[in-house]
Formats: sequence, C-alpha cells, structure tokens
Amino acid sequence: MLEILLLTLQVASLATVGVLVPSVVLGYALARFEFPGKRLISAVVGLPLVLPPTAVGFLLLRLLAVDGPLGRHTLGLDLGILLTWKAAVLAAAVMSLPLVVRTVRVTFESIDPQLEHMARTLGYGPVETFLRIVLPLSVRGLVAATILGFTRAVGEFGATVTIAGNIPGRTQTLASAIFSAQQVGDHRTAHLLMIVALLLGLVAIWVAESLGPGTALGNSQQARSRRTES
Amino acid sequence: MKLRLDLRMALDRFDLQVDLAALGPVTGIFGRSGAGKSSLLEAVAGLRPSARGLIRLDDITFLDSTCGICLPPEQRSVGYVPQHGLLFPHLDVRGNLLSGSRRARQAGVDHEDLLSHVASVLELAPLLSRYPATLSGGERQRVALGRALCSAPDLLLLDEPLSALDLPLRRRLLPVLQKVCEELAGSIGRLAGHPIPMLFVSHDPTEVQALCDEIVVLRDGDVIAHGEPRRVLRDPKVYALAGEDGFENVIPARVSHHAGGTSVLALGRSGLELKTFRAAQEPGESLYLAIPSNEILIATERPSGISARNVLVASITRVENVDGRCLISALLADDLPELAVEVTEVTPDELGLDAGLQIYLVIKAASCRIYGGTRS
Repeated sequence: MLEILLLTLQVASLATVGVLVPSVVLGYALARFEFPGKRLISAVVGLPLVLPPTAVGFLLLRLLAVDGPLGRHTLGLDLGILLTWKAAVLAAAVMSLPLVVRTVRVTFESIDPQLEHMARTLGYGPVETFLRIVLPLSVRGLVAATILGFTRAVGEFGATVTIAGNIPGRTQTLASAIFSAQQVGDHRTAHLLMIVALLLGLVAIWVAESLGPGTALGNSQQARSRRTES
Repeated sequence: MKLRLDLRMALDRFDLQVDLAALGPVTGIFGRSGAGKSSLLEAVAGLRPSARGLIRLDDITFLDSTCGICLPPEQRSVGYVPQHGLLFPHLDVRGNLLSGSRRARQAGVDHEDLLSHVASVLELAPLLSRYPATLSGGERQRVALGRALCSAPDLLLLDEPLSALDLPLRRRLLPVLQKVCEELAGSIGRLAGHPIPMLFVSHDPTEVQALCDEIVVLRDGDVIAHGEPRRVLRDPKVYALAGEDGFENVIPARVSHHAGGTSVLALGRSGLELKTFRAAQEPGESLYLAIPSNEILIATERPSGISARNVLVASITRVENVDGRCLISALLADDLPELAVEVTEVTPDELGLDAGLQIYLVIKAASCRIYGGTRS
C-alpha cells in the first residue's frame, strides 16, 4: 500500500518537475511571440488533452519500440524506458503537459506586456525583465499550473499502463492499483486506495483554493497597506 | 540638448514621418489623439522595432538604420512615463521608485540621495510603503514620474502623464511637473548642471503653454508646425486642432494682494493688473493664469456700467480665420504673450477690427482660471 503511494508520488513529482520548465518556456513563447509554426506547436502540445490516453500511450510505445525512431535500432543504444517507472514518468509528463502549458500561457497572457516594456526602459534586459517582473507577477498562476499538472499525473492511467504496464512493486501506481484490485474483486484494497486518492485530491484542491483572490503574495500585502491607510 | 529625429514608421492608418531637431529643454509633442504622438515617443524609447531612420540624443546614437545601429530600450537611458503609470503591482512605491536605480548607480549618482530628493519634490514620502493598487490616479502618476527620475535618465519621455486624470486634478499636478522641470533640472546624472531634456506628449494646449519651450505639432503622422508654443498654437491650422477642448491663453502672473473674495494679479513688469476670484497662493507667489479664448469680449470703446471686473487696453496684432471662426491676436504689453480671442466670422467687419487697432478686452473674474505655480 505505502509502496504504491510512494511510487505514485515519485512518478507524479518527477513528471511535474520535468514538465514545468519546458511549459514556462513554451507558455511564454506562445503568449508573447508570433513565430512560424506557432499554431502547429500549440496543436501538437494540446493533442494529449483530446486523444484517448491509450492512443497516446501506444504512440509512445511505437516511438520507443526496438525498431521505432527512439528505439535501439535507430539510436544504437537501449534507453531502457519501457515497462519501468521511467515509462510511467514519461507517460504522466506527456499527459499533463497540455494542461500545464495552457495554464502557464493564460497566466502570462494576463500580464500587461506594457509592464515589460516599462521594465526595459528602466534598464532591464529581456531575461532580467522576465525574472524580476513577469515571474513574480505570475507566481499564483504557476503554482496553480503545478498543482493541476501534479494531480493529472497522479491520476494518469491509460498511457501509463500501455508503456509502463501494471507491475506490482515496479510500475503499479494508485490509478492502476485501484483498477487491478477492482478487477480481481478485492474491494477492501480498492476502497482503501480510493480513500488515499480522495485525500490526495482534497489536499490539492485545498492548496489551489487557498491561492484564490486576496491571499497570494501581492494581494495580502496590498490588503495590509489598505488597512494601515484607513 | 539636441535630439535629432529622422523617423519613418508605418502605423495603422498612416505613416509616421518626422524629421526635426528638438532643442528643448522641454519639447512638447502636440496633436489630437491618434496623430502618432505616442508612437513617436515609443520609437524614441526603443519600444517600436519597426521604426526606421535616425534617432540621436546629443552624441549618442539610439537608432541609425543606415548603419544597422538600434540600441535596445535598456541601453537608451530614457525615463518613460506612460499615460497610465504602469507601476509594477508587486512592488511597493519605494520598490517602484528604486526599480531603475541601477542605471543611476552606474551613472555615479547616489541613488538614496536621488530617491529622497525626488520623493520630496513629488511629495511621495508618505506613500513609500504603499502598493500601487491602493494609490489614487494622481498619486500613481506622481510615482511613475518619480520612478523615471530615479533612474537618472538622459532624456525624459512623458506620454500625456496627466490625461488619465480629471481636469481639476490635472490642473493641480501641472505645477508638480513645472517643479520637476525647474528644481530637478541639473541635479541628475550625466547632465548635472543642465536641465533634464524632456519630450512631453500632450493634446492639451494649456499644458504645453505652461511647460514647453517649444512644441512640435503632429497631424496624421506629419509634422505640421514646430516652434515657440504660444506662437505655434495661434497658427490657424494648429488652433483648429485645439478647438475641441477649447483654447486657454496661459499667462505667467504673480499675486499682488488679496481683497476680500478677490485677488489682484500682476501681469508682467508693466504694472498691468487683473482681478480674479481669490487665489490660494500668497501675495508674491507666482502662478499661471488661464483665460479661455472664447470668454474674452472685445469692445472698441471703453465700456462702462458692466459687471466684468477687468477692462484692459490692448492692440490687435492679427486677425485670422479658423474653421468658420475668427481668431484675433491682441497684445496687452510688450513683455506679455499675445492673447487669442475668438469671435464670429462677421464680427471683425462689423466692428472694423484690424491689425493695429486699439481695443478693450473685457474679462470676467470668473473666466480667469488659476493654475498653481512655484514660489519665485
């Protein structure tokens, strides 16, 4: 039981961390710049959101198969991903990427680009402008995107079983363990796992809710200064 | 300063085409909204990558398309104050003021000194720990101006800094801008000892008369006039642009004394006096007097038995037609700017008004608006 929970948290965390940086780069590029292929990239990144997860899993399987573009015959070495926890991380990452990119993109789009212009005239280069103005202003959205990506990764099933399998002790996560327990009629285990998933979900929602209006960094400071003013 | 501009830039409805040398120190960019004023300012700041041509401030080239020079905004050392302030919402006022201070430090300016100086001139000290969301419109604009000044810029770019505010507030902040021009001039950065050059975008004839040494008038992207503000604004084709909001004659004056509910103002050095409703300033303080061009009456003989408090002798210098109206320029005294008086097209013929004629200008105390000035 604990083994399943720990593996699930490990897979979901690694997937989220792995997705975050590319999502910030991609989300910012999509929010701020016009470039050739922008719509294509946006569409490809969004695909896992609309495809059956098993289809995405099968696609990844074909890519990583021995004779696939990322397989042993093409690369000349075996990445050793399939049917390991690494495959579970890959599946979770690919499936949560569109959600994270979308949330990050909307966050960046909600920041007035004129503020960035302003920073440039005050002597900040583009990178410094991003770090000192854009990032602090998007903290809430980025945390929300992280939580969304993490919960999506925790719940990933279809793509995961396709490329990582459902091997107890090696690649079995919460989602696939509930499925297995229910299939063999072990309702006690299924119930228990369901409650663990419920608690995990509640914590995630509670954290996300506490980021609501009036509680994130800037706003609480503003509320404080409003109080001192009156 | 010498700001050399030779710019071409495609805008939505027309091309902006500007070729001029601004000598300032305060150069107004005047015109109706949509004339290309803000785009010009953004091009100077480096925020318009599509701008082509030449921008050179003294010996620093910001842009020279012929040799492929285009400094990014962060290397242009300009202080930009946009219409809506654009304060950083995650920083308090102090953080906002200090956000550009690295440039001040690199220029060898003590940024703490500069901050306290700017804060005192702009009266920002009580606001330092507040966040932008809690500031009023006027406070925000003052902070935005302060932030630009604290970066020790070589050139200030003000894009209608007062236009987002209502008229009374605009009139109250006008003297603040004058104070910036006068008191901060020469105390900042590289230009110590010289006034800080400024490009000031405005569509308000009163503001540009009060603040600018010269103005450039833009219409649909073209420069249609350039020169001393009062002279340029009375140019019929420019006057027509000001018509919408009305035109105010702006005259520097000094409070002579108060008498009950009225104040007596001294105009220039010729001993001319004008009665207005009581001014807030103390005797001896200087201020700006603004009289709308369409609230001045002209009489060919000295009128008597009228309620208007002021009857002043003047001589007509020009009679011009503008947009179906007639604009009469009249001189009160040699050391005062000409006054513009608006009358109907047929008035000059009926009264026989012509250049050189002596007339009487009738001005009600209530027609005189007072914009705070600075202590002389």
